[in-house]
Amino acid sequence: MTADLLVEARGLTVRYGRKAAVDDVTFSIPKGRVVGLLGHNGAGKTTLMKALVGLVAAQGECRVLGLDPVRQRVALLQSACYIPDVAILPRWARVSELISLMSDLHPRFSSERARALLKRTSVDVNDKVKSLSKGMVAQAHLALIASIDARLMILDEPTLGLDVLSRKAFYEMLIDEWCDGERSVVISTHQVEEIESLLSDVMMLNEGKLVLSISLEDMDRRFVALGHDAAAAEQMAAAHPLLRYRVQGAGSATHAALFDGPPPDEVQALGRPMRPSLVDLFVALTRKPEIDRTQF
Amino acid sequence: MTTWDQRQPIYQQLADLLAAQLLDGQPPEGEAMPSVRALAALHLLNPLTVSRALQALAEAGLVENRRGLGQFVVPGARESLRAAERERFLQTEWPRLRERLKRLGIGTEQLTWEDPR
Repeated sequence: MTADLLVEARGLTVRYGRKAAVDDVTFSIPKGRVVGLLGHNGAGKTTLMKALVGLVAAQGECRVLGLDPVRQRVALLQSACYIPDVAILPRWARVSELISLMSDLHPRFSSERARALLKRTSVDVNDKVKSLSKGMVAQAHLALIASIDARLMILDEPTLGLDVLSRKAFYEMLIDEWCDGERSVVISTHQVEEIESLLSDVMMLNEGKLVLSISLEDMDRRFVALGHDAAAAEQMAAAHPLLRYRVQGAGSATHAALFDGPPPDEVQALGRPMRPSLVDLFVALTRKPEIDRTQF
Repeated sequence: MTTWDQRQPIYQQLADLLAAQLLDGQPPEGEAMPSVRALAALHLLNPLTVSRALQALAEAGLVENRRGLGQFVVPGARESLRAAERERFLQTEWPRLRERLKRLGIGTEQLTWEDPR
């Protein structure tokens, strides 16, 4: 295990009955990364995150911070923090009480840091959770777990149900207070377009399989999007791109075709290279297969 | 939130944005650039992307790294940016504008340097 790798998973599989929710997944997460975990509902995102913090038993190899997440869970949770998708803070508690609770529970929690982080927000330590808006609760929660001196943070849909300003404030705090080049964070979300620019890496799950795990830098190099006009559409289609879609605000180009690797020369001349967007790539790689009607 | 178009890599778009601000004297020559973290939080960008943008500005000779202190605006950065912009205008924008003026039949006598009241 390399010290720079915070997560190493090989052939990781989680089964619920006969169904593999996470199916033979292999990846690693180095330090200092912001990893987006993308997938449709039911793709296995939550299960994979649970496996990383030892909440479900997995087959295959999995090391998180060099530890076995299930058997060494207590040690792992000293240096890994997690907000599950069903996260709730007790409504009757004051924020200051949550800070005391965390200080008692977690050896690496700093109440000073929690108070400092909360100063960034409109949450007052004397506020009761039930008096806070959804966005404020999310910020308070992030402030609490970002005050753990950890190396890996796992966030399962942390901004679900928040309005745009709350989401922005949440991510501002995450970038400003957590990402220091050493710690890493894994975030699952459906708001792909919104977090694309925050990410250093992306992992895409489709029906439990990891269909892509790549840094954004490599993604820009590997996938080529060509913007083109309607006249070139037929020739583009003939070159079998991964995906064809309409574009706006890209000059004369009204369409784009996305290729895995350099497109054929004759096609390349018909279009202008564009930045392939994460959403387009996600759609291309996770399209639901046609329903097999032969079984009915 | 800052919106990024699909034409260029995001780091390039940020570099262009920062260069445009330098041209307006923000920050002034000799002063420190905002930190990677501050820029990352402001534009909700990954810090690596911000570093690449600053790197691009450094390669263009607009900012320089002072060990332990971060990036500083190089003296003369505005003038070299202005020269590059002027060149770009004359090479690419002016021919298009000239073409349009000709098509519309607008002569020099109709063009004024005065700002409208």
